[in-house]
Amino acid sequence: MQKHHISAVIISILMLAACVVAGVTFLEHRKVEPIVRGPGVTEIVKLSKWYPGLEGTAADTDVYIFKGEAPGGSMLVLGGTHPNEPSGFLSAVLLIENATMASGTLYVIPRANNSGFSHNDPQEGAPTGYHFTLSDGSTRFFRYGSRATNPIHQWPDPDVYVHAASGQTLSGNETRNLNRGYPGRTDGTLTEKACYGITQMILAEKIGLSVDLHEASPEYPVINAIVAHERAMPVASQVVLGLEFSDITIGLEPSPKNLRGLTHRELGDATDTLAVLMETANPSQGRLRGRTDEALALEGKDLYYIKAQQLGRLYVPFDEKGHSIEERVGRHLSALIEFAFAMSSEYPDQPIEINGIPAYDELQQAGLGAYLRPLQ
Amino acid sequence: MKIIYLTIAAGVLVLTAWNLWTEKDWRKQATAAMVAVPLLLRVLLIK
Repeated sequence: MQKHHISAVIISILMLAACVVAGVTFLEHRKVEPIVRGPGVTEIVKLSKWYPGLEGTAADTDVYIFKGEAPGGSMLVLGGTHPNEPSGFLSAVLLIENATMASGTLYVIPRANNSGFSHNDPQEGAPTGYHFTLSDGSTRFFRYGSRATNPIHQWPDPDVYVHAASGQTLSGNETRNLNRGYPGRTDGTLTEKACYGITQMILAEKIGLSVDLHEASPEYPVINAIVAHERAMPVASQVVLGLEFSDITIGLEPSPKNLRGLTHRELGDATDTLAVLMETANPSQGRLRGRTDEALALEGKDLYYIKAQQLGRLYVPFDEKGHSIEERVGRHLSALIEFAFAMSSEYPDQPIEINGIPAYDELQQAGLGAYLRPLQ
Repeated sequence: MKIIYLTIAAGVLVLTAWNLWTEKDWRKQATAAMVAVPLLLRVLLIK
C-alpha cells in the first residue's frame, strides 16, 4: 500500500467517526419528547383525520381536543408554527397539561410544523433544547427546533418561493415556512399540505377563532402584539383592553392584505374563522444577540439588547431583567383567556370557558416548571 | 426533484471519495474528507 493510501484510510476513518458523532446528534433531535395528557383533553387525533394525504408523513401532527361539559363556541390554538419560538410551543403544552373546558371546544396543535421540530437551523448556534425543573424535582426537556420544515422532508428549495394562491414571490427558503403556505394545497410541497390540513380542519369543525402563537426578535417592529384579520378586529380589540386592565401592554396590528400565506390573512379569507396571530419578544431569535444558549432562550437576558435599547433600536422595552419564558408564555396564556372571554361576550350563544390555565402572576412567581406534569 | 438532487449529492460524494483516495497531499485528502461529511449525511437522509 502506498503512503498516500495509508493517510487516505486514516483520514477516512476520522471522517466516518465525525459522521457517526454528528449523525447520532441529528437523529437524536428527531425523538419527540412526550406531552402529558391533562385532565381536560378528551381526544387526541392526527391532523391527517382532516386531510388523509398527510398520513405517514413528517407533517402529520397531534391535535388535542378539549370538549367542554356544555356546548359552545370553538377555538384553535396553533403552537410550534415556528419551532424555534419556544413560547408558542410551551403555551400549547401548558394548555394541554392544565386546561379544562367548562363550555365550548378547544383544539390545540402544539407542533403545527411537526417536521420543523426534527432539526434546528445551521449557523445560528441555537441550543439543542431547554430544561425545566418540576415541583417534584424531576426535569422535563423540550427541543429547540427550526423555523422551517426539515430539508430531509422537503428538498430542494426553489430560488424563489411563489405563493400558490396569490403569485406572491418570496425568498426560496420561505417555501419551508408553514406561515407562508396557507391556505395550502394538495398538490404542493409537504409544508403546503400541512397548511391545507389545518385549513380543512377549521372548515370541517367550523372553528370560530384561530390563534397562532409566535415569538419575534426585539428589533422586529411587530412585537408584543396581536395581528388580526379585519373580521377579528372587534374581538381582538376587547382582548387588548382586557390585557391592559391586567397591566399587560399589547399592540394591535391589522393583517396586511398584501402579505399572503400567513395565518392571520389566509385562514380569515379562506374560512369563517376569526384569525389572529400573537408575538412575544424572544432575544434568542434576534440578530443582535450575544451568546445563544439555553439560558438566553429561557431567561431572555442579553447585554447587547440592553445596549440596543439604549440606542433606541428596539420595538420593545429591554433592561437587565430581560424577557423570561414565564413572561412570554404568560402573555400568550393571558391573551388566550381574554380571547375566550371576548368571544363569549361577542357571541353569547356560543360561549368558550377555559379553566385551569395558570395566570400571568402565578407563572412569574412559581415558574413554568411548576405547571408541567411529571412524566410517568 | 428530491431524487434528482440526492443522486447529484451521491455522485459528488463518490467523486470526493475518489479524490480522497488518489490525492497524494494529506492536507488535500483532509479537505476532501471534510467535504464528504455533509454529503454523506444528506445522502443517508440524516441531515
